[in-house]
Amino acid sequence: MNDEQTRTRFETLLLPLMSDAYNLARWLMKNQEDAEDMVQESYLRAFRFFGSFHEGTNCRAWFLRVVRNTCYTALGSRDVKDKEVPLDSEADEIEDSAPLPPVSFAKKATVEAVREAIAALPVDFREVVVLRELQGLSYKEISDVSGVPLGTVMSRLARARHQLYLILSDRKQREEL
Amino acid sequence: MNCQECHEYIDAYIDSELDVAAAIIVKQHLRDCAKCQQLLESRKVVVALLKNPEISFEVPDALFGKIQSVLPAVRSDVKRRRGGRFVFSWFAVPLALAATVAVMLGLAFLNQGGMFDRSRGNALAQDVISSHVRSLLATHLLDVPSTDQHTVKPWFDGKIKFSPPVRDFADQGFRLIGGRLDYINGREVAALVYQRRLHIINLFIWPSESSSTTAAESFAKDGYNVLHWNRDGFEFWAVSDVSAGDLMAFADLEMQQS
Repeated sequence: MNDEQTRTRFETLLLPLMSDAYNLARWLMKNQEDAEDMVQESYLRAFRFFGSFHEGTNCRAWFLRVVRNTCYTALGSRDVKDKEVPLDSEADEIEDSAPLPPVSFAKKATVEAVREAIAALPVDFREVVVLRELQGLSYKEISDVSGVPLGTVMSRLARARHQLYLILSDRKQREEL
Repeated sequence: MNCQECHEYIDAYIDSELDVAAAIIVKQHLRDCAKCQQLLESRKVVVALLKNPEISFEVPDALFGKIQSVLPAVRSDVKRRRGGRFVFSWFAVPLALAATVAVMLGLAFLNQGGMFDRSRGNALAQDVISSHVRSLLATHLLDVPSTDQHTVKPWFDGKIKFSPPVRDFADQGFRLIGGRLDYINGREVAALVYQRRLHIINLFIWPSESSSTTAAESFAKDGYNVLHWNRDGFEFWAVSDVSAGDLMAFADLEMQQS
């Protein structure tokens, strides 16, 4: 493959992933400017490592992993605390937080509230929520992107959903929604 | 299964990530346990809230250009096409010569079983996919945004040397949303844009060298499906990330005489 063919192939495979990449970076970095920088950096890195990308590999997961790692590197140098999940939250039994009151939300009014709730999650939880709920990745793909075992993906997603429900139903009860 | 186990598996259950046997066990427990049923409902509320596509962020317009600027420059033809004009330049001469040789080689193959058509088809299919991808990204999907075929068709008059057939298939689930000029294989072509649910279909049309009608030929690459056919003196290339079946249904509609 010559340079031009490589570039064409790179563009065909990776440019359609721009929205996924931007959204993952946007949620991890929590602001537009950093997210744009991360996406640019990720495309550059992906282009450099495109040789190590093999035919038949899941391209989306491969690229999102590049984006994820680029973001974590930046987060690590900026704010290590933010990406650490508090110990008690990992150890927290889901059962103890039950029961959950049934709540219904008006769909339109809650976009901002849901965004704020996602933003309030620890970064590891936020990551699985974005990959699963907003981008529709399978558990296996999430495991590939984030480099954690399937079981951890499952338990993080469970806790993240539980926290989201608590945050949102709490706001609902305070009549904010 | 007890409640603790059910709590562990309930998310995988909602996400259809459990194997059939495990899913049945969870389902049975849920049927008998009101408390876990309540947990399931609360999970479904969260999942439904997150399903709203408005929660995702729009990609800033400038980002595409920024990405292009950090990637090493190789492709001159991307800019040329986006600029909307094919510039004849010195390297076109050797390219033309190479093309002639390729055609001659191709003709030699043609007699021996139609390989020429397929390899030409593959190259064109790649070109069509690239145009499709660019149309989705370069904020240049539509020159004439309109769901009215009687607006889209006259728009091409005077802009290209032929008048492409334009029809809307909204009733069958393929809504015409507009058209634009594009460049495929160095020539001006008409691009009609259709929407299938959240997916975009680009239909590229240009005059064919033969007037015969051909069956659709399919190509698949990098998650895109491409179909090619000839009808009434036009070449048609449809490209999309919809399923091969959906694209076939679309082609079938187009191939029916109006």
